[in-house]
Amino acid sequence: MTQAHSPPTTKAPLILTRRATLQTLAAAGSAFAAAKMDVLDVLQSPVLADELKRQQKRVIVLWLAGGASQLETFDPKPGRPTGGPFKAIPTAVPGTHISELMPQIAQRVGQMAIIRSLSTGNADHGGGAQLMHLGRREEPTVRFPDIGAMLAKELGRPESQVPDYVNFYTATEGRGSAVGQSGFLGSRFLPMFLTSDSTPANLARRDSINPLDHQQRLELRKLLSDRFAAGRTSSSLASHHEAYARVPGLMASAKLFDIEQEPETIRAKYGPTLFGQQVLVARRLIEAGVPFVKVSRAWWDSHGQNFETHLELVSELDHVLSALIDDLRDRGLLEHTLVVTLSEFGRTPNINASLGRDHFANAWSVSLTGCGVKGGAVYGKSDEDGQKVEDGKVGAKELFATIFRAVGLDHQKSYQLGARPIPLTEPGTQPISEVLA
Amino acid sequence: MVLRSVPPRALPALFRILVCLGLSWFVALATSSGLADELLAPERPVEEAIDHYIDARLQAEGISAAAPAPDAKLLRRTLLDLVGRIPTATEAQAYAANPDAAKRLQLVEQQLGSPSFVRFQAERFNQLLMAGSNSNLRDYLQAAFQENRPWNQMFREMMLGREDDPEQKGALQFVRARAADLDKLTNDTSALFFGVNISCAQCHDHPLVADWSQDHFYGMKSFFARTFENGGFVGERAYGNLNYKTNKGESRDARLMFLTGTLIEEPAAAEPTDEQKKAEKKELEELKTKKQPPSAPASSRRVKLVEAALAAGEPGFFARAIVNQVWQQYFGRGLVHPIDQMHSANAPSHPELLTWLARDFATHNYDLRRLQRGIVLSKAYARDSVWTSNERPLSETLAVASIRPLSPQQYAMALRMAVVHPDHLPADLSPEEFEKRMAGIEGGARGMASLFEHPGADFQVSVDEALAMANGERVERELLRDGKDTLLGKLTTLERPQALELASWTVLSRALAPEETQAINTYLDARSDRLPEAYRQVLWAMLASGECRFNH
Repeated sequence: MTQAHSPPTTKAPLILTRRATLQTLAAAGSAFAAAKMDVLDVLQSPVLADELKRQQKRVIVLWLAGGASQLETFDPKPGRPTGGPFKAIPTAVPGTHISELMPQIAQRVGQMAIIRSLSTGNADHGGGAQLMHLGRREEPTVRFPDIGAMLAKELGRPESQVPDYVNFYTATEGRGSAVGQSGFLGSRFLPMFLTSDSTPANLARRDSINPLDHQQRLELRKLLSDRFAAGRTSSSLASHHEAYARVPGLMASAKLFDIEQEPETIRAKYGPTLFGQQVLVARRLIEAGVPFVKVSRAWWDSHGQNFETHLELVSELDHVLSALIDDLRDRGLLEHTLVVTLSEFGRTPNINASLGRDHFANAWSVSLTGCGVKGGAVYGKSDEDGQKVEDGKVGAKELFATIFRAVGLDHQKSYQLGARPIPLTEPGTQPISEVLA
Repeated sequence: MVLRSVPPRALPALFRILVCLGLSWFVALATSSGLADELLAPERPVEEAIDHYIDARLQAEGISAAAPAPDAKLLRRTLLDLVGRIPTATEAQAYAANPDAAKRLQLVEQQLGSPSFVRFQAERFNQLLMAGSNSNLRDYLQAAFQENRPWNQMFREMMLGREDDPEQKGALQFVRARAADLDKLTNDTSALFFGVNISCAQCHDHPLVADWSQDHFYGMKSFFARTFENGGFVGERAYGNLNYKTNKGESRDARLMFLTGTLIEEPAAAEPTDEQKKAEKKELEELKTKKQPPSAPASSRRVKLVEAALAAGEPGFFARAIVNQVWQQYFGRGLVHPIDQMHSANAPSHPELLTWLARDFATHNYDLRRLQRGIVLSKAYARDSVWTSNERPLSETLAVASIRPLSPQQYAMALRMAVVHPDHLPADLSPEEFEKRMAGIEGGARGMASLFEHPGADFQVSVDEALAMANGERVERELLRDGKDTLLGKLTTLERPQALELASWTVLSRALAPEETQAINTYLDARSDRLPEAYRQVLWAMLASGECRFNH
């Protein structure tokens, strides 16, 4: 299995160093360009631009809405009263077993870290979803940004031509509680929110205006606005300018949402399901430089018939996540892309009278794959029936700190909200260093 | 005096802030005085006091303020701020051409007395007080602003509105909408009415501000601890005390305490027996069925809060907070900024001015209209927003006018007004008929307003807005329609110079600069085969410009 996807033996043709960057820029002979070396658009070398783009860190969150069961995924308890009918199978990492519903992921556990000791204390859909989006408890008078908005701000580029936060949520169940929020970071970092499988709203030019007029109308708008902006300084005004400057790029990015642009072989790998197709779009977006994409799959809330539900949903996840991992790796993107499986909570070890499992936030699991992650690591332990965390108890904030660190961010970096500094994760939070590369 | 009132623990933080703000300001603060009897005389007009203090700081820092804004610009700013709309082309041209020195005063008086002012204030305060809520205070606010009800009375009604009085029942929405979340009720009341955000102090003593401890948060929350909702009515129990855990894990009984630290006396209330509780529950269920409000307690804690907040001699949280709030609406920042951070470590930009205005406000019956009149008539409000010489001074010096994003309603109104046929709003319309048509356009603007985000602090325009403007169906349908009743319909009947002049005065309230005329002419020349489309595109470029999107 893994041999079939072994990484290329030769390194990418250009290893980018700061020196190489400076040399290339110096060759371009422009001090102006050197001063703005983080601005990709000024780079003349397409190879260099490609490489820079590839090295930019990104995150894909697969949001398993409703609460995926840890027992049928990453923390099986076979043979225990709580174990259910599915077996545990060995994985590519000796000693690590996961549910038999994930045979393909089992072969890829070497690129993945599993955390089995999340104890988040909120087993309510709304509250749990909010906690696992914000990494902290909401306060009445502070509207916090969610993880997508924070990563869009930290990993995105202000002048980016592509969206920097894309959020798929096609199902209606649970959509209200998983909606993206940019909080005090402002609407610049709101997600492009897709609730159907089509492309985002207002990306297509209207028929009443031809492409050239559309472009030149924007230029005329800019001319008038630039004249107005002379002698007026305001960050809001600058953001207005920026938003319009991003319109052509965003319109051009419409094709990123079109999987017909992918070869049949690639589409086949992700499979025919809507979730598979949206994850393929996520890969296309990531590849084009979008720093954060969330794809939601609903509805995992299996109060009844837990095992049928999970047979279907975990099998699909197994297939789609494996296809994504392989595809990212084949493109040299996996080491720069972190893929996270996340829910609002897990499910009770106890099996109820309807053969269901209920909401459970005391000992559940997530997986982190790719960028910055120590492949094959398993962190934390639940007790033999999965009722509580026995070792390595962590909450949402530690998980968030780990995600930030995995993509090279200081998890204590602060935003200033009035007089109050607000760090990415609550003061004193430690990342789970055991799962970090 | 100002410095002496600061608790010692706050001094290092205050000092840091002073250093950040620059030494000259520190000197100005240290040498001036916050003593009420040394303030400018109370009988001076509000606008004079404003300019006196603002000019004093500018002079102390050696800054010469920006020139006054051109008349038509100032007209646009004033109308957007007072009534939420832009001027028509005719109004703007007439105002600019009017040589009468009293035209500004006349304009302000006229607008302050208009129904549009009442509607816009109601909308603005509803947004302020009820943002994010499913319910609203619109009807109550409309009635209250209609008679320019004093702000202290409005506060009392919003806290204590009687359920059996139709007018006050509406006011109680403020409490009712938050009755299920007393933390939110506590925080919002503190932030909105007293300018104090104590949410940090909920879990621990405020890490940065010595003024706010957990005692303050739970002291404030105690005023609401007995409040509850029953079948859509607000009730209050006669018993019940808060207990909280300090961050050191110690359990503590909350005391009824206002932000000033004043402890409030109240008759002791015995906890009911289980039987009494059962009876109470039964009674509440019955009241729910009968759709009747619960009876009021003999001693209401919310009454105590209103008494404490409005007590004579209270150091002015209440008056200062609303003055600061209103100030921000007109200047884009509070005299204390951010406006919910009124505490000793966050000094006002103009301490005496805030004190003077709060005193004036309190001694003139908490009259919001008087305050707004003074602000709008000040020279500080009327400055240009362009700063061309050297470095732009700090915004808090108010040396130059701020650039403020329009609210969704203001922007939608500006867009919708800009595209109506000028004959729909002729100069000779009676004021009543003009108001009627404005109300009609406002109604139409409400749908369009949903395209835009409400601007918070450091507002950032989203790409969704730019995309909706560039490609949205609604924008095409409502703004770019070429018809007998639209501006576009009129433009195509005019010679080009007149068409451009009309478009520019309508959307931007000014004439075009030569280089703009040239650019637009080039644009139109390239499309001489399809001029109506070209005009539509030019109009779009103006509507989507920064100049149209902001108040400046």
